Amino acid sequence: MTNYLRASVLALALMLAAAGMIFLFAPTDALQGDVQRIFYLHVSSAIAAYGCFAVVLLGGIVYLWKDSLVADRLARAGALVGVVLTTVTLVMGMLWAKPIWGTFWTWDARLTSTLVLWIIYAGYLLVRRLAAPGRQAARFAAVVGIFGFVDVPIVHFSVTWWRTQHPGPVVINDALPPEMLATFLFTMVCTLFLAGVLIAIRYRIETLLDARPVAAVVSAPTQTEPAR
Amino acid sequence: MSEWRTRELVPALAQFVVLALVIANFGFQIDSRNASAIAPGVLWLALVFAGLIAFGRAFAAEREQATLEAMLMTGAPASAIFAGKALAAGLLLVVCEAVLLPALGLLFGVDVSAGLVGAVLLATIGMAALGCLFAAMVAQLRARELLLPLLTLPLWIPFIVAGGQAVQSAMGGSGAFDQAVKLLLDFDILFVVLTSLAARFVLDD
Amino acid sequence: MSALVADRLSHWFGSEPALDSVDLVVDRGDHVAILGENGAGKTTLLRILATAMRPSSGKLEIMGLDALRERRRLRGRIGYLAHAPGLYPALTAAENLAFFCDLRGADRERVPEMLDLAGLSEVARKRASELSRGMQQRLAIARAVLHDPLLLILDEPDASLDAEGSELLVRVMKDRTTVLATHDQALATRLCQRTVVLRKGRVLGAGSRLRVVQ
Repeated sequence: MTNYLRASVLALALMLAAAGMIFLFAPTDALQGDVQRIFYLHVSSAIAAYGCFAVVLLGGIVYLWKDSLVADRLARAGALVGVVLTTVTLVMGMLWAKPIWGTFWTWDARLTSTLVLWIIYAGYLLVRRLAAPGRQAARFAAVVGIFGFVDVPIVHFSVTWWRTQHPGPVVINDALPPEMLATFLFTMVCTLFLAGVLIAIRYRIETLLDARPVAAVVSAPTQTEPAR
Repeated sequence: MSEWRTRELVPALAQFVVLALVIANFGFQIDSRNASAIAPGVLWLALVFAGLIAFGRAFAAEREQATLEAMLMTGAPASAIFAGKALAAGLLLVVCEAVLLPALGLLFGVDVSAGLVGAVLLATIGMAALGCLFAAMVAQLRARELLLPLLTLPLWIPFIVAGGQAVQSAMGGSGAFDQAVKLLLDFDILFVVLTSLAARFVLDD
Repeated sequence: MSALVADRLSHWFGSEPALDSVDLVVDRGDHVAILGENGAGKTTLLRILATAMRPSSGKLEIMGLDALRERRRLRGRIGYLAHAPGLYPALTAAENLAFFCDLRGADRERVPEMLDLAGLSEVARKRASELSRGMQQRLAIARAVLHDPLLLILDEPDASLDAEGSELLVRVMKDRTTVLATHDQALATRLCQRTVVLRKGRVLGAGSRLRVVQ
C-alpha cells in the first residue's frame, strides 16, 4: 500500500466519521429542520477551498520570485482541488437555500463572492490550458491567482458595504449550540485533511506529467562557466 | 507615447454606446419616473461592455504584439511600457464616457453633475489598469474573446459596485457619495500598484 | 572574451521540441549566418540570443554577462531585427525612429543620420504604412542600429529587401558582431564568414564558407 493509498483511505474514513457525526450526533435544528445539516459540509468545503486558493497564491508568488517548479506544481494542484471544493460549496449552498429561503440564489455578499471566486479560478484553469505550456502558462496563471485572491475579499467587502446601503432580504444566523459547534469543527478538520490529501495526490500527478520525455516547465538555469 | 492606432476604434465605440442606450430604453421601459433608478445600471453596463470591446481590440492585432516586443527590446522597463498602454486604454474609456454621459443626460433626463463625472473618471483609472493588464495577457493566448471578460469582470466588480453607488448618489438617490468615492480611490491605488508590479510578468518572458 | 557563448540551448513549446542542445560561440567582429529552412528553429534561436525569450534549458553568455539574468541591461547593447518589423504604421518614418530613440535614451540627432544611412531621408515624413515593403525593412534595420549596438541579431533581414537595403545591410554589419538567420545560402556566404546549419532544432554542421548539398 503506497502512502497515497493509505492517506486516501484515512481521508475517506474521516469523512465517513464526519458524516456519521453530522447525521447521528448533531441535533436537529429547531428552525430549519434536517436541511440545516448541509451547512456543516457546505461551510467546511468553503473554508477548505479558501485554503486551497491560499496555496495557489503562495505558489504563484514563490514561482514568480524564484522560478520554482515545485511552487508552480503546488499552485496547479491547489487550483484544481479548490475549484472542485468551490463547486461543492456552491451546489450545497443552493440545495440549502431552496427549502430555507424559497429561492436557489440571492445576491448577498457571501454568495456573490463565492461565485466570483469560482469564476476567477475557473479562469485560472482555463488560462493554464490555453497558454503556451511551460513558462508562459505558469507566469500568467500566477498573476491570475494573485489578483484573484486579492479580489475576492474586496468583492465580499464591496457587496457587504453596498448591502448596508440597500438592505437585502436575507440574514444568516450563525449562533451555534455546542454539539453543532463540535460537529462543525470536526467536519472542518476532516474536510481540510481531505483537501490536503487531494492536493498531495494532484501534485504527484503534476510531477509525473512534467516528467514526460520533453519537460514542460524548467527552472531558470544557474550560471556556471560553459565549456568552450 | 502616442497610441494613435486606437483612434480607429473611437467612432465604432461611440456608436456602440449610443446603441446600448437605445436598447436599454426599450429593454427597461425607462420613463421620467424610473430614470434615476435605472440610469446608473445602464451607465455601468454600457461602459463595461464598451470597455471590454475596446480592450479586446486594442491589443489583439499581431502588429501590436510586434511593436510591444520592439519596445521591450530597447531595454525599457515593462512597467513603464505598461503605464503608457494603460494610459492610452484609460483615454479610450474616457472617450466612451464623453459620449455616454451626455447621451445619458439627454436621453434619460439625468443630471450629469461634476460629482458624477468625477466618480466615473475615478473608476476609470482602476478599470483601465486592470483591463489593460489582462488584455495584454489574453492577446497572447487563444480564445481571447471568451477569456477577457472572464478574467476582467471579477476584478471590475468592486469598481462597478462602488461606482454604481457613487453615480446613484450623485443623481440624487440615497446613499453615501463620499464613502463611495473614497472606496474608488482606495481600489484605484491598490490595483494600479498591483498591475504595475505584475506588468513585467505579463508583457515579458 | 567572446561576444556570445551559447551552451546547450534547448527549447520546447510544451512537448514540441524547437531547439536541441545548440552550442554557438561568436567572437567579436564575427559575422555568423544561421542557415535553415522554415521551421528549423532559426527564429526561436535568434529570439533567445537577442534575450527576447528565455530558453527551456541551457546557458547563454553575452559580452561577459549572464544573458538570462541581465536581460534588460543587455538589451541596451543589442540590436534586434525581428521576423515582423514591429513599426508603428500610423507614425511617420522619422517619428518611428524618434520614438525608439527616446525609449533607448539615445540622442534624437541620430534620427536624420539613420534616415540618411538607410536612404529614407526623402520619405521621412511619410507614414510607415505608406512605405514600400523594402523601405519598411530598411527602416526596421535602421531602428535596430539606432543606439549603436555591440551585437546585431537579424532574423531574415533579406526578406523583402530591395537593392538599397542590401547595401544598408553590409554597411551596418561592418565592424559589428552579427548573427543573422536566413534560408538564402548565397546571402549567407556573401555576408558572413561562418555558417551554422540548423535542421529541426539541431546544429547539422558549421564552418566557414560552408556549402550545403541539399
